[in-house]
Amino acid sequence: MSKEAKTLTLDQRLALLNFNKDPEPFIVVDTQLCHSCEKKPCLYICPAQVYTWQDHLNYNTEGCLETGACLVVCHSLGAKAIQWKYPSGGKGVTFRHG
Amino acid sequence: MSLEGFEVAVVGAGPAGSAAAITLAREGVQVLLVERGSFPGAKNVFGGRIYSYALKRLMRERWKEAPIERFIRKEAITFMASENTFGVEFEVKDPTLSFTAIRAKFDKWLAGEAEKAGASLINDSRIDDLIIEKGQVKGIVAGQDKIPTDTVIACDGTTTAMARKAGLAGNLEPQAISMGMKDVIELPSEKIEERLGLDPGEGAANVFVGSPTGGLRGGGFLYTNQDSLALGMVVGADDVSMEKVPSHSLMEKLRAHPRIKRLTKEGVSVEYDAHMIPEAGPEMLSRPYTGGLLVAGDAAGHLLNNGYTFRGVDMAIVAGIAAAETFLEARKRKDFSAASLQSYEKKLREEPSLRDMFTFKRVPGYLRNKRLYGLYPEIICSAAEAVYRVDGTSKKKIFNELRGNTKGRISTLTLIRDLLAGARTF
Repeated sequence: MSKEAKTLTLDQRLALLNFNKDPEPFIVVDTQLCHSCEKKPCLYICPAQVYTWQDHLNYNTEGCLETGACLVVCHSLGAKAIQWKYPSGGKGVTFRHG
Repeated sequence: MSLEGFEVAVVGAGPAGSAAAITLAREGVQVLLVERGSFPGAKNVFGGRIYSYALKRLMRERWKEAPIERFIRKEAITFMASENTFGVEFEVKDPTLSFTAIRAKFDKWLAGEAEKAGASLINDSRIDDLIIEKGQVKGIVAGQDKIPTDTVIACDGTTTAMARKAGLAGNLEPQAISMGMKDVIELPSEKIEERLGLDPGEGAANVFVGSPTGGLRGGGFLYTNQDSLALGMVVGADDVSMEKVPSHSLMEKLRAHPRIKRLTKEGVSVEYDAHMIPEAGPEMLSRPYTGGLLVAGDAAGHLLNNGYTFRGVDMAIVAGIAAAETFLEARKRKDFSAASLQSYEKKLREEPSLRDMFTFKRVPGYLRNKRLYGLYPEIICSAAEAVYRVDGTSKKKIFNELRGNTKGRISTLTLIRDLLAGARTF
């Protein structure tokens, strides 16, 4: 076995974390607006790649690390399509080594 | 638990919030400390180091009871090109001046100290709103629960819904924030000590500048915990080049660098973290208080990145103490209006440990120069290569080697201008 530390995909990185799913949606995107968005900055800023594009904007909040950066870039550089708040108390990601 | 009868609600049980709660509870104030995570620290991420003076000020002789990972003996900065690096290392006289920590342990411990002092801690609670009457903050709202208090101390982090709802801040702008990501990589403590040349219990802090950011404005860091490495990157959120180098790809880019590979080999990744950093500092709020509200920590931009030191937790603790002291004075007057709380801003400005935020306030502007992240690290590494490499070809004198390395890549005038601007900024 190689002694090099293994490289990891983003999915493998996210699988290291505990998520307690919030049944209430804490990110809501008006994806119709995204069609007119030129830069689509949410695709690049999110360290968990919550947002992806395939003909239209898809978002999966299950790996959300709750940085809040998507909201900032969407409202400043994007189409103001994202509504965001933290998950309900005790829900969402838990960091054990932050 | 009855949610009546609290004089102060502290929103967020991070270092600022717990420092405020400890200071208040010791004076007999009825304090409610509210945390949205399932325990304090569950939502918190940082690079890895805490400067001790602030914790000493708060906890006095008991500060070493904190869950300290390692005291920092070595400070290093490493400029990186894709295949070679150039580093400067400094071994400090007194390693107890700063230490590495893990927030899930440290923040939990500090909030526990607030509880011991008499504060009431509630986890699992997101605060949705403030009670505001005639421009004066009168308490907090969590779901259906309204909790009236004399004053709210908002320590709710970079996104600070509290300061925003009180009208102290507009929307955050991308140029005001950075994105931080880190891998936590487990490695036996003897390996960490051997690899970095450390004595047991002592640690290293290393900053990386150059190729792994793919030209993005930012850098990397490595902090040693007891049995793990905290390896991460921070990049400016408004960098237009991010389209080519998305933030979710950055850790893998850093891990692929040969130097990082040597440092992390045999390590096992145990966590991936991310956090938004309020890089613009105190200017993000019009002011850090209003009637019935004081704002401290990341929420008020109480942090400092001057390019070589990265501070946050120490400043948050100091600001949390200052917020608590401001409340204690207002309590004597039984007046929690904005006029009564305005001494908070003066306290912050006059506090020596926070003055650096203002001394270095031109630094973020200087650090926007992208040559610092791409061209300069490359020049430094190729110049070092030219100086040190002996391969049977003839060599020039050092100055000529250096000149040869800047030629065609940057004009002498631009280079001098950047150097002079740096001298004025730092």
